[in-house]
Amino acid sequence: MTAQNEDVPSEAVACELLDKIIVKQLHLMEEKMRCELNIESNIKNGSIHLAKSRYIMGQSSVSTTRLPTESSSDFSASTKCETIEEDGLKVMKVIENDAEDTVNPLRWFGVLVPQNMHKAKSIFQNTINYVVECVNVQMQLQTNLKLIEMLKQYINSEKVTAA
Amino acid sequence: MAMHALANRGKLISVIGDEDTCVGFLLGGIGEINKNRHPNFMVVDKNTPVSEIEECFKRFVKRDDIDIILINQNIAELIRHAIDAHHAPVPAVLEIPSKDHPYDASKDSILRRAKGMFNPEDLVR
Repeated sequence: MTAQNEDVPSEAVACELLDKIIVKQLHLMEEKMRCELNIESNIKNGSIHLAKSRYIMGQSSVSTTRLPTESSSDFSASTKCETIEEDGLKVMKVIENDAEDTVNPLRWFGVLVPQNMHKAKSIFQNTINYVVECVNVQMQLQTNLKLIEMLKQYINSEKVTAA
Repeated sequence: MAMHALANRGKLISVIGDEDTCVGFLLGGIGEINKNRHPNFMVVDKNTPVSEIEECFKRFVKRDDIDIILINQNIAELIRHAIDAHHAPVPAVLEIPSKDHPYDASKDSILRRAKGMFNPEDLVR
């Protein structure tokens, strides 16, 4: 066997690697479902507080009619996400935007809003963290999908050469 | 210039969803209307045409200031072909449940793609 051939991983090594990635993939799938369920319970919880605010303030007071439209003045998001590299992996994290043109979304619904509105705001802010966590898991799932595809192709080509 | 770059760091999270999802996430602070008066959110109700949702989704995908697109799973079902055709990792498209429609893993594009990899014929050799 030449030195060049020794560098090329054997089919057995590739299969072992494929097994490891598939196990990791299963864990990631479970993790994604867990994140989605967290998001679901948060959204339901937040929606209850929005409904309570609606009951207190009136039907149209907490609705899309209060949201800014294309004719509103421009403003920046106060919560954004940033991609950083952690242990060789690209991950997203939530950051607070410290630009001057951010707005307090509660002001769209009035000056004195009920306590439930504040609660809904903090619940949805927390949900954004779960969302970014879920996106990170999803990105790893996509990376692994590509790896699995590549390894399968490699193993198949090895089989053809062996035959 | 450095201050401007610092203030503009980070990318947006956009949302396509029903009234409560949009109101909630905008309360959370992700909403923005940029200098060109383009919002990063779309409220979908029962009268919104599917073509409009698809157009908005494609617009969000093209925008380079958006890193995450949140979409309610029941709305994602209406434009499934467009979501399945999106393979790029960024912007990440995340299907989220809504208060009326619980999360269904069997409908999620990414999970379906991941499950497709576990074809028994491919794995048992």
